[in-house]
Amino acid sequence: MSKKEKSQATHIRRTARDWVFDIAIIVFFCLFTLICVFPFYYLLINTISDNDLVTSGYVNFYPLVKSAAGQAVPGIQISNYVALQNVQDLGSSVLVTVARTILGTALMVITSAWAGYLVTKQKMWKRSFWYRFLVITMYFNAGLVPWYMNMLMMGLTDNFLAYIIPGMVAPYNIILVKTYIESIPTSLEESAVIDGATTSRVWLKIILPLSVPILATIAIFGAVGNWNSFQDSLLLMNNRPDLYTLQHRLYIYLNSSSNLGAMMSQGGQVSEQAAQSLLNQRVIRYTVSMVSIIPILLVYPFMQRYFVKGIMLGAVKG
Amino acid sequence: MTGKARSPRNPQTGLERGFLWVFRGAALITGMALFFPPANPGRISGKINQAASLFTTGISRDTVTNNMGRILRSQWITDGDVTLLMISCLVVMLGVLACAAGGCMSLGNRKMRKTGLVLPLVGAPIMGAGLFLIHRAYESMLAHGTSADKLDKLELAIPAGFAVFVALTGLLFLTALGAYLATAKEKDPAAKMEMEEKYRLFLMMLPVILLAFIFCYLPIWGWRYAFFDYTPGSDIGPQNYVGFKWFRFLFTDPATSADLVRVLRNTLAMSGLGIATSWLPIAFAVLLAEVRSTKFQRFVQTFTTIPNFISWVLVYAIALSIFSTDGFINSFLTNVLHQTGANTNYLQSADHTWLKMLLWGTWKGVGWSAIIYIAGIAGIDQQLYEAARVDGANRFRCIWHITIPGLIPTYMVMLLMSIAGILSNGMEQYLVFSNAVNKDVIEVLDLYVYNIGIGKSQQISLSTVVGVSKSLVGITLLFLANGISRTVRGESII
Repeated sequence: MSKKEKSQATHIRRTARDWVFDIAIIVFFCLFTLICVFPFYYLLINTISDNDLVTSGYVNFYPLVKSAAGQAVPGIQISNYVALQNVQDLGSSVLVTVARTILGTALMVITSAWAGYLVTKQKMWKRSFWYRFLVITMYFNAGLVPWYMNMLMMGLTDNFLAYIIPGMVAPYNIILVKTYIESIPTSLEESAVIDGATTSRVWLKIILPLSVPILATIAIFGAVGNWNSFQDSLLLMNNRPDLYTLQHRLYIYLNSSSNLGAMMSQGGQVSEQAAQSLLNQRVIRYTVSMVSIIPILLVYPFMQRYFVKGIMLGAVKG
Repeated sequence: MTGKARSPRNPQTGLERGFLWVFRGAALITGMALFFPPANPGRISGKINQAASLFTTGISRDTVTNNMGRILRSQWITDGDVTLLMISCLVVMLGVLACAAGGCMSLGNRKMRKTGLVLPLVGAPIMGAGLFLIHRAYESMLAHGTSADKLDKLELAIPAGFAVFVALTGLLFLTALGAYLATAKEKDPAAKMEMEEKYRLFLMMLPVILLAFIFCYLPIWGWRYAFFDYTPGSDIGPQNYVGFKWFRFLFTDPATSADLVRVLRNTLAMSGLGIATSWLPIAFAVLLAEVRSTKFQRFVQTFTTIPNFISWVLVYAIALSIFSTDGFINSFLTNVLHQTGANTNYLQSADHTWLKMLLWGTWKGVGWSAIIYIAGIAGIDQQLYEAARVDGANRFRCIWHITIPGLIPTYMVMLLMSIAGILSNGMEQYLVFSNAVNKDVIEVLDLYVYNIGIGKSQQISLSTVVGVSKSLVGITLLFLANGISRTVRGESII
C-alpha cells in the first residue's frame, strides 16, 4: 500500500481544500490516538506517584513525588508495586492466571494444530460432517445455565481444569490452521508419505515446522484471551477464591472501592477508617490494573503483526 | 502401517456389522461414562464427593475423601475401604480401556477385527471383576458402619451408576462375543493387521470430536431443566415435571414479563446503536488511508488497537480512574481549572447509559475493526484510481465511487453477522458497568439470564427457558441472515 500511495501522492497537485482535509484528518487521528493511550498513561503515573498527591488529585499529566521539603516535584517511586505483595489474595490469582495462560494456550495450540491438519485430509471418514460439527459450535451455544449445569455435572466447578480443558477445542483457530495448511504445497507431504512416514510423523516433522507463523498467531490470541479471562472464574469458582483469576480479583477490588465512592458522592457519612480504606483501595485498584495491563503492553509491540495476520486470515472464509 | 491405501476391504456380513456397531456404540458410551459423575458406580456412599466421576474416584484420594473427615477419623469407614474402592475403580477403568481399544481396532481389516475383539472379551470380565470389588467395598463399609452403629451417617447405597455399568458390561461382552463369532477366521497366514486410512484418520480426530461434543453439544441436554420445577440440589424426575409451565410463566407473570420487555428494550437498543454505527470502522479506515505518511498510519493503527486487547474489567478500571468521583475529570476540574464542587461520579448515573456503553464499545473496538477494511483498501486495484483521476475525479469522488464500493461486500458480511447476533451482546461489559443506579437500563438479555440463573437468584428453570428461547431466535436469525446473503450475494456467510 505504502509505495503505491506515495507514487499516487506525487501525481496529484494538492488544492487548498486538500491541505485543510489532510490537516483535519491528522488532527483527528492524533486526538483519537491520545484518547486511546492517555487512560493507560494516567493509570501508570498514578501508580508511580506519591499516594497523598494522588489522593488530592494533583497527579494529572506527569508523576509527582514529595521532595524533602514536602513540595510536590516531578519524580517517580515504585513503592506501590512493592507493597502489592501484601495485598490479600493477589498472589494466588497471579499464579492461577499465569498457569492457565501457559497451560491453556499450549494445549489449545496443540489441539488446533492437530485438528486443523486432520480436517485437511480428504480421506477421513465423514470428513466434511466432522468439520461442520466443529465449526457450528462457533455460531451456536446452548445458553449460559445449561452450560453451567454441564460443567457442574462434569465436576469442573471449583476445579482448575475448568480453565484449561473446555478451551482446548477452539473452532475458529482450527479453521485458521486448516486454511493455512491448505496453502502449504502438498508435494512436501506426499514425498514424506512415499518415504513411509506415518500421519503423525508427517504432522510433527513437516506440518508443524511449516505452520509456525499461524501457530504463533493463535497462541498469542489464546494467551491474551486466557490472561483476560474473567467470566469462567466468576461463574465456576464460587467456593474456591484461591482459584480466582487476576481479572476476577481486580473486579472484586474495583467493586469494593466503587461502593465506598458511591457512598461519598451521595453525601453519606463515611468514617475515618472507611476513608482510609478508600485510599488504600484506590491505590490497590490502580496498581493491580497496571499489573494486569503491563504484560499485554509488553508483548503487544512484538505481536502486533501476528494480530493483524490473524484477523486477515480469519477474513478468508475457512 | 503406511499411508498407502492398499488394505483390501474384507467383506462383512450383515450380522457381523450389526454386532460391531452396537458394540462400538456401547464402548463409546462406556468410555464417556467414565468421566460422567452421575454414572459413577463407585459412589457407594453419600459422603463421596458428588462431583467425582469414576475416573476421579480411581485416581484422586482427596476427591473421594474430602467430605469424610470425621467419618475417616472415627474409623466408621477405614482407609482400607477407601483403598479397596479406588483399586476397584481402577480395575473397571482398565476393563473399559480394553473395550475402547477393541472398539477402535474393530474398524480395521478382518485380521485386526478378530484380534481386537479379543480385548473386550477379556476387558468386559475385568470390568465385571471391578464392579464386584466395588460391591465388596460397599459390604465392607456396611460392616464397619454396623459395628460402629453409625450406618445412617455413612449414607451407604448402591448408586444408579452401578446398575448402568453392570448393564453396559453385559452388553459389551455379548456384542463383542457375537461379533467375534460372526467374524470369519482369517485364512491367509500372511495377512497383517491393517486399517483403512479413512478410519485411521477418523480415530485420530476422535478425541477432538469428543471434547467438542462434551463442551458444546452436551449442554443442550441441560435444556430439560426448562420443563421441570428445578431447584439447585434437588433431582429432576416425573414428580417435578411441569411441561411448558415456565414458558407460559414468562409471558403471564406480570413482573417477569415486564422485566423481559425492559431487558429486550435494552438489548435491542444497544445492539441497534451498535449496528447503526457499524460504518465507523470503514470511515476510520478510509480516512487513515488518506494520510500520506505510512509511518503515521502504522503509529495510529498500533495505538488504537491496544484497547481491543484488554478485558472489560480493565476497561471498567480505566473508566473508574477517569470518570469516578476522584478520577481524572474531577481532579482536572478542581486542580487545573480551579472549579469548586467538581465531584460528580459519572459512572453512578442512569443518564445516557446506552450511549455511554456504545462509546466504550467504540473506544475499545473501532481501531481493531478497522484493520479488516484497511487491508481491504490495500487490496483495491490501483488502476481504478488512476483511471478515475484521468477522468478528472478528485479524491472525494475517488473515495465515494471506488474505495467505499470496494469495501461494501466485507461490510455486508459484518452487518449480517451483527444482525444475526442482535440478541447476544454478551454480558461482560454490562456486568462490570452495572450498578444500583443504572441496573434497569443496562441489563441486557445475556446479563439477565446470568442474574436470574446464577448471579442474584437461582431460578435455574426460568433462566433456562429464557436462554433456550434466545438460542432458538439466534439460530433462526443466523439462518435468515445466511439465506439473505445467499440470495443477494450468492455466497453464504457461515
